[in-house]
Amino acid sequence: MTPTVEIEGDVGRVILSGQFDFSAHREFRQVCETLIANPSVKEVLVDFQNVNYLDSSALGMLLLLKEKIGVANKSLALVNCRDTVKQVLEIACFGKIFTIR
Amino acid sequence: MKILVVDDTEAVLLLISRFVEALGHMAVIARDGAEAVQVWRQERPDLVLMDMMMPVLSGPEAAMAIKNEAGESWVPVVFVTGVGEENRLAEAIERGGDDYINKPVNFRVLEAKLKAFDRTLELNRKVREQSSKLADYYDRAEEEKRVVRHLMEQMVNAERLYDPLLEYWLTPAESLSGDLIAAARTPGQSLYILLADGIGHGLTAALNVLPLTQPFYSMTEKGYSISDILTEMNNKVRQVLPVGRFVAVVLIAIDEVNGWVDVWNGGMPGVQLVGIDGQSQHVWKSAHLPLGIVPTEAMDVIPERHYFSAPGTVIAYSDGLIEARNPLGEPFGIQRLMDVVATYPPAERMALVKRRLTEHLDNVPHHDDISLVMAHCGLPQRALPIHSAPSAADPMRFQELAESRWRYSLNLGAQQLQHINTVPFMMNFINKVIGPGESQSDVFLILTELFVNALDHGVLGLDSSLKREPEGIEQYLTERARRLAMLQQGHVEIDLTGMWLDGQDYLRIIVKDSGHGFDWPGWLTNDLSTAGGLSGRGIALIRALCDMLQYRGTGNEVHAYYRVRSKKP
Repeated sequence: MTPTVEIEGDVGRVILSGQFDFSAHREFRQVCETLIANPSVKEVLVDFQNVNYLDSSALGMLLLLKEKIGVANKSLALVNCRDTVKQVLEIACFGKIFTIR
Repeated sequence: MKILVVDDTEAVLLLISRFVEALGHMAVIARDGAEAVQVWRQERPDLVLMDMMMPVLSGPEAAMAIKNEAGESWVPVVFVTGVGEENRLAEAIERGGDDYINKPVNFRVLEAKLKAFDRTLELNRKVREQSSKLADYYDRAEEEKRVVRHLMEQMVNAERLYDPLLEYWLTPAESLSGDLIAAARTPGQSLYILLADGIGHGLTAALNVLPLTQPFYSMTEKGYSISDILTEMNNKVRQVLPVGRFVAVVLIAIDEVNGWVDVWNGGMPGVQLVGIDGQSQHVWKSAHLPLGIVPTEAMDVIPERHYFSAPGTVIAYSDGLIEARNPLGEPFGIQRLMDVVATYPPAERMALVKRRLTEHLDNVPHHDDISLVMAHCGLPQRALPIHSAPSAADPMRFQELAESRWRYSLNLGAQQLQHINTVPFMMNFINKVIGPGESQSDVFLILTELFVNALDHGVLGLDSSLKREPEGIEQYLTERARRLAMLQQGHVEIDLTGMWLDGQDYLRIIVKDSGHGFDWPGWLTNDLSTAGGLSGRGIALIRALCDMLQYRGTGNEVHAYYRVRSKKP
């Protein structure tokens, strides 16, 4: 999986596709770090539109991202979650700590 | 490079070795194949430039001998050939020669070839270095796995998992499991079950779940509630694991005596309660974040309670079971699991789920750890030991004749009632005094019931009739938590005395509270078989376990005499 990035104004969007699991971890981290380092980006959106599966290590990566975003004083939201992704996020009760739209 | 130059013609030997040296390499020489092998042994050159036709041992024969001895390390052999040697040359290269150069030697071409071999040799060295490093890493990882596997086995302790009411199945995706199942009984004989799933699998996942076992076993055995255990486990996980690591957890408490199941589900698939007919009666969905994500203060550690009215089975599993995919990529799913459960009697379900999953996987390995727990509840109980009251059970005789051996009393004010887990705290002492044996669990039950009555109904003034309706229990627990948090005054006094009468050890437990008491004569006529609904079992239970139970005054003081049935250690 290669995530792509779109920046619109002060919103940086990370668009993921396919399976979001441990094999995506390096690319995901790199993409997110560029967005975090970009001073004009105030909000980061992780876009799940094209993701059909995510596992527990992906949840771990999201937690790490949340921590880094918090340190950088930006905001984070998970968007366009399809049913399968939504289910995994629901079971993990991630709605309690993430903004999911 | 150190280059071995082999030729039986002195002039050629001199010419080539001088040229090699002029290029900045070091030359060693030999005059026939046999000598070449010998010099190679002593000098270990990086490359061999060798004539084909030589006395004693020919070039190709010497090359084979050298290659054989060099083994894993690569020694390029370049043949220097004259016209008419093509057939033998092709053969020699097929059998391990690396390249050739024609006679008379074109030095421009030889220089280029040496450069190319230098590059390849460098690359080869790097690859060998890396592969040896890789082999080291592999060995180390295997050794680490072996150690962690041993640790896991010790800490999980399969022996403890034996319980007549519990069936379980755990099969890791790799040699180490990130799923963990643990079970233990409280002193009051409630069955506690822990099912945990660390993120990922293999070594790191196994390490994630390790911090859970110790608080689970030690606190269960002391009689702490599952809320207390969760608090401790979350603290441990937060302390030990880095950000981004977490453990999904289900904690189940089955209390057969009072007929309820408590479940706290943080990030695991729904826990099911099914009847003998396999029909779902209750589901505990994941309602909390997995452990290790948020600080303990921000967690809701109160489990959800369900009362069962008929025998049933509590079924819990990790997502590895329902997500196990067949060769077509289709997951096993909840439906297949529930179909087996609905079709077969309780005793056959576990074996059939295993068989269905094996059929489903069709020899494809599952990618995540699989664990499944089935705990039966509400089965006909072992009869409570109801003591035939001995002649000693006469209040007057106790007061006059019993010899008091030790005394331990405790007075808890509002603040202590809010923060101290009184019963497990006192059990530490009781266990030391009365020694091991079934009495420990009896005393735990008596103390728990008496203390809970004193606190809930006496100090907090809660009405237990609220508990009679299954929906009322949630209301009751919420109200209890609210009143306890607001508590400003009130106290509970507990007085334990070891007594000796007619050659028997007795334990007297006196519990007094600051409440108004209750209409105790009415309650005392209840016994276990007639205690209806969801309240009033407590007192009936204590009466069954004790030789004598007396309420005094308005009922805010209770005296229980228990005959200790174990030998002191």
